[in-house]
Formats: sequence, structure tokens, C-alpha cells
Amino acid sequence: MAESTNALDRRTGSHLVAAVLMDEMRRDDAIVTFGEDVGALGGVFGATRRLQREFGGARVFDTPISETAFVGMAIGAAQAGLRPITEIMFVDFIGVCFDQVLNQMAKNHYMSGGRVSVPLVLRTAVGSIGSAAQHSQVLAATFAHVPGLKVLFPATPGDLQGLLVAAIRSDDPVVFLEHKWLLKSRLADLPFNDVGSPEGPVEPAEIGKVRRIRDGSDVSIIASGWMVQQAVLAARELESAGISAGVVDIRSLVPLDREGLAAEARKAPRALIVDEDFADFGTTGEVMASIAERVPGEVRMARHALVVSQPASKVLEEEVVPSARSIVRQARRLLQA
Amino acid sequence: MLTPRHLYETVLRMRLLEEGVGAAVQTGEIHGEMHLGIGQEMISAVMGPHLEPRDALVSTHRPHLHALAKGVDPVQMLAELLERDGLNRGKGGHMHLFDPGASFMCTGIVGSGAPIAAGYALHRKLRAEGGLTVAVVGEGAMNQGAVFETMNLAAVLSLPMVFLCENNEYGISVPREISTAGNLVERGAGFGIVGWECDGVDPAALDEVFSAAFSETRQRSRPTLIVAHVYRFRGHYEGDTDHYRPAQEKETAFRERDPLSAARHDLVGAGWSADQIAALDREIASEVAGWFDAARSLPFPDPSDARLGTFVDG
Repeated sequence: MAESTNALDRRTGSHLVAAVLMDEMRRDDAIVTFGEDVGALGGVFGATRRLQREFGGARVFDTPISETAFVGMAIGAAQAGLRPITEIMFVDFIGVCFDQVLNQMAKNHYMSGGRVSVPLVLRTAVGSIGSAAQHSQVLAATFAHVPGLKVLFPATPGDLQGLLVAAIRSDDPVVFLEHKWLLKSRLADLPFNDVGSPEGPVEPAEIGKVRRIRDGSDVSIIASGWMVQQAVLAARELESAGISAGVVDIRSLVPLDREGLAAEARKAPRALIVDEDFADFGTTGEVMASIAERVPGEVRMARHALVVSQPASKVLEEEVVPSARSIVRQARRLLQA
Repeated sequence: MLTPRHLYETVLRMRLLEEGVGAAVQTGEIHGEMHLGIGQEMISAVMGPHLEPRDALVSTHRPHLHALAKGVDPVQMLAELLERDGLNRGKGGHMHLFDPGASFMCTGIVGSGAPIAAGYALHRKLRAEGGLTVAVVGEGAMNQGAVFETMNLAAVLSLPMVFLCENNEYGISVPREISTAGNLVERGAGFGIVGWECDGVDPAALDEVFSAAFSETRQRSRPTLIVAHVYRFRGHYEGDTDHYRPAQEKETAFRERDPLSAARHDLVGAGWSADQIAALDREIASEVAGWFDAARSLPFPDPSDARLGTFVDG
């Protein structure tokens, strides 16, 4: 793993996303990108910075605040032969255009009997940064519950690059969840950074494979997105208390690496499944079922995920959104059970 | 503009196809929901010659006539409707027909096709193919936000697309008067979209409107709107009790708003005798029966195929 130690390195995750988009758009002129504020502004998180200047307004352009229209346009354009990358600024806004996602983007390949494909990437920012329940959701399981969508949730800078390249080159529709902290944080400040300085050439990551981030023999912490970064912090704290905690990154909700999850989970007698998404009918239950079906009785499991909507006040937010501190607490509880 | 003979043949093919499909619902050969376009044939019959292979068309839950106009193979389409290994391997059925070769698709969600049509139009614009895209909507879909959003988007992006609104007066059971404010064609004007409206049973009026709108969209790469007024001859779906429409209204419409009668009238006007028309009727009936026979000769899908095809890679 390459660690960035340069204090002057100001790169954030959003720089990496923008660089991948730049490279991929140079490689393939069928790629277009559009959405709200992706043009002159370069995205509210900076993830499309400089693209319009580089490729012009025909390939990179702002849309009206009309998610149904522009997500649908991306679907039609993909079916017609372009390779659109569109952005839903905050995942919470998906509600206004969910018909296009649920009934068109996800279904058209299957319903066409394979005659139509939808090579479309829907990038969207997720997770809590102190903005309450309409600007903090993750909704990964909401997408994953719809057959026909690939759902990727990078936790590390390296996956922000590699999984994005894989998503762009995939012929299937992909929902690409970018955690706001990963977009905003300096790489050097992340608990776990797997991108060096300067970053080397980016290779597409294999979609649908879990990744072990850290070894541990007492408990495995299985998580996705920003919760992986928090799990790394938690594992360090547990280690200082003499507890060996491993960290496993789910990376891809669809396809879900069920065999990989079971194989990683059985490396420790207990597993804590952590999710920043809502708990009920969600990723934690799906992961637990995948493990229980494959290694029944071998691993004692517990889950730690959101049980209410995200509140605004930091005091309240910290109470309910999982964090390194709460992961430590839950891991200790599981170890005592 | 089609000759009276070709127009009549086209309308008759459409009518016989829809009637044959309706019959297959009656017998249980088709077990799903079915929406027929009887009464609306003239629009597609006249539109057909205006469409080019480079154009795309995104249709609705009532899609068969548009598919024929766009050049979708009728046997493949019928096989799909008859739940066989057809156009979409039995996975789409009548409301979800996809023919990339003909640049045709439809969707069962009211209004949702318009945004997708904008995508086909964007492709045409960027790839400079000179083609246009037709987004078919009903008057019911004109109350969907998706259609308004797409009108605005198409206008600001100067997309080469034609919004074709087929006003058949009813959204299932709800008459236009109590669901729809104002004037349909004027809705385009709010977005700077030039529009035309006409009698959707009058071939000359339709031809004039399609010529004007398609020419405007092709030459100036900008959206246009057509509103064509028709009457839905069947219930919303096959099996609809249709008790909500006054009998008198239906009888009048069947008598005065029938595209097949209108086409036949033009044929008579062109000097065709009753015997000649009867001979032509037999010829077209035989042709359409041949479509059904060919479709019914195709196998049913392999049940195991149902589990495949969620993704390109499986």
C-alpha cells in the first residue's frame, strides 16, 4: 500500500474522480457527462472539474433541475449508442426520478430480451456530513433491491478510481455511490489510503469482489463506503486494547460477493456488519444471510446500522450514525456476547 | 403522402392486427394486459412515410401501430405479443417492445418515454446523423411532470425531437375535460416549442402537420409538438367494462371517427368499386393472417431463459 506523506498534497477524492473522468473521456469519445452543475462549476464536490473546459459543452453540460428528464435522457442516449455518465448531486434526490431508475434503467436490458443495453453510470454523492435526512442518506440497499442495477460503493481512494473505471467500461447500468467524506477529504488525512503520490496509471477494478483491508483474529468488521474508513480507525483502537479486529470491504452490493464474504467472515469467530444505510431490509441483513447460509453456525454475528433517519444536530447525528467510536462499542458488545 | 390505396392498406393492416390480437386475449392465448389502438390508426399510417431509418421512436403502452409505422417486423412483434420467443424473447410483451434495428421502443409507464426519447435525440444531435426522435404520448401523459421536464430540456438543448400527442379523450376512464386544463397544443408554446394540432382521422390534415413538424425539427434541430385528436374505440384495455363512456358518444364516434371508414371513403373517391375494395380486403386479410400464422409457428421461450439476462454478462 502506497502512503501519501506529502503535507503539501491537497488532492481529495473528488480530484481522483475528475481525473478518471478526464482519462476515460479522452479514451472514448462516446462518453458524455451531464447533470446539475457539472459544467462550469465542475460539480458541487468538484468531481467534474475542468471537464467542460477540456471537452466542450457538447460532451459536458449542465442540465435543468429535472432529474427525470436528464436521467431518462441518459438512458435513451445509452441505448442509442453513447456512454453517458450522469450525476445525481445528492442521492436523496433520486426520489424525484426513481421511475426512470426503477423501470427503465434497470429493466430495459432484461425486458428487451438482451437486444438493448444501457451502458450508463449514475454517479451520486451519499452519506452523512451534517445535513439531515434529505441530504445524508446512502440508499445503497434501495438500489440493490432493484434487479438490473449494478451498485458500487467505493471505500478507498484506489477504488474510487478503479471501480469508477470499471463502471464506465461496463455495458450494464451502474449506480456509483461516492461518499461525501471520501470526495472531500484529503487523501493524506484518510484512515486508509491506497493511492500514492503521484498516482500511477489506473486499472479497472474487478467488480463483485470483497477485499480484506486489515487482518484480525478476534472479530471481523464487514462494511462498505465510509464505514470501512471508520472501521479501520475502530480496529486500531481495539488493537490498542488487545483486540484483533479485521476489516473487510464489501465494495460492490450488486453483484454481491457472497462466497467472498463467507470466506472472509470465517477467518474470525465473530463478525460485526456495519452500514451507514438504514438497517431494516438492508445490506446488513443480506450480508448476514449470505454468511449464515454458507457457514451456518460458524460465525457469531451482529449488525450496526442506522435505525432512524439522520438528524441535523451534530449531537444527535453522532448518536445514530455509525462511527469509529460506535463501532468499537458494538464490537466490544459482540465480543462479550 | 400515401396513395389512397396504400393508405387504406396500411390502416386495414393495423386494424386487422389489433383485432387479431384482441381475439387472442379473448381465447386466453395472451394472458397479460392488452391495450389496442383501434380508432387511432390514421396517425401512424400517415406518420409512417415521414419516418426515416435514422429516426427513432419511443412509444407508449399502446404501441403496436407506432411499431408498424417505424418498421418493426410484424411477425416478430406478434410473436412477442403471443408470448412466444419473439422480438424480445418473451420478456417484454406488448408494452415493452424493443427493436434497436428499427430504433423503436416503448414503455408501459405513462409519460416515461419522453425523457428516453430525448436521449435518442441527443444521440442524433451529437452524432450529427440528421435524424429525429418521436416521443409519443397520450393526452393523459401530458399531465405527467416527465413530459413537461422533457419539453423544457429538449428546448434548452435544441434536441431534434417531435412530441406526438395522441389525444384519444380518455385516460382509462377519466375524460380529458376533468383531468386536463387549458389547451394541449398551447402547452408547447410555454417552452418556445412550436406546435400544430389536427384531426387525427383526416389523412390530409395529418400529412400536412407531419410535414411541417418533421421539417422544422430536422432542419432546425429543435423540438416540435403535434396534437392529433382521435377517439379510443376500445376500452382502455381488453376486458375493460367501458361502462363509463356514454353509449351515444361511442356510437357517434364509431360512425364518424373511424380511420378505416375514412380511408375507405378516400378509396371510393379515387374511383374504386365495392368489388375492387372487397378483393383488396381479402388480399390484406390474407397477408395479416399470414403474420399470425408465422408468429404462431415460433416456439415458446425456453423457461430456463427467464433467469438469464438481468445483466449483459448474465
